Amino acid sequence: MNNRLRVLRAERKWSQQHLAELLEVSRQSVNAIETGRYDPSLPLAFRISDVFDLPIEAIFTNPSKENA
Amino acid sequence: MRTRAAKRYQRRFFLTMVAYVAVLFASVTAINQYEPTGLPLVILSVLPALPVIACLVVMGFYLIEETDEFVRQRIVSAMMFGTGVVLSIATVLGFLQYGKVIGNVDVFWAFPIWCMSWGFAQCWLTWRDSRAGGNA
Repeated sequence: MNNRLRVLRAERKWSQQHLAELLEVSRQSVNAIETGRYDPSLPLAFRISDVFDLPIEAIFTNPSKENA
Repeated sequence: MRTRAAKRYQRRFFLTMVAYVAVLFASVTAINQYEPTGLPLVILSVLPALPVIACLVVMGFYLIEETDEFVRQRIVSAMMFGTGVVLSIATVLGFLQYGKVIGNVDVFWAFPIWCMSWGFAQCWLTWRDSRAGGNA
């Protein structure tokens, strides 16, 4: 699953650590999601959506749809 | 940064290991000194295994209490690696025994080997993640 987490975080000038604290996860988790090594569960995706105040589909995108 | 669950786990793990050393020392001393037989010998022999079993319970609690799903997934992956190593060694040794190539093997090594394999896998995953980097 592709995501715009890094871009959105950079726009807000947040560090990975700050975002991790907002999401109540480790910085490793934020890094793993940003680099696409880990796809978050639905509850965590909703938390990310809440933190950025954006709909999930504005953050996460389906790579197969993008290629179509 | 370690999670709260990880800190709790470390504290509990340390306590079970202290208990293990204490119980093992007491058990071996009692067996050597009093040379018990029958039920007392069985009880004294089993006693050192109890803190090890408690340690497994502590690990189970850690998995339940860990709220960071990525960290939990990584722990489970590392544990699975450890389980694979132990089962592989057990299978090879089992067939070597079946073929009478080797004699008896002390099975209590299974837990330390599992722990070491788990630790190795955990270190490797941490190293791999740190290499993946990303700005902090």
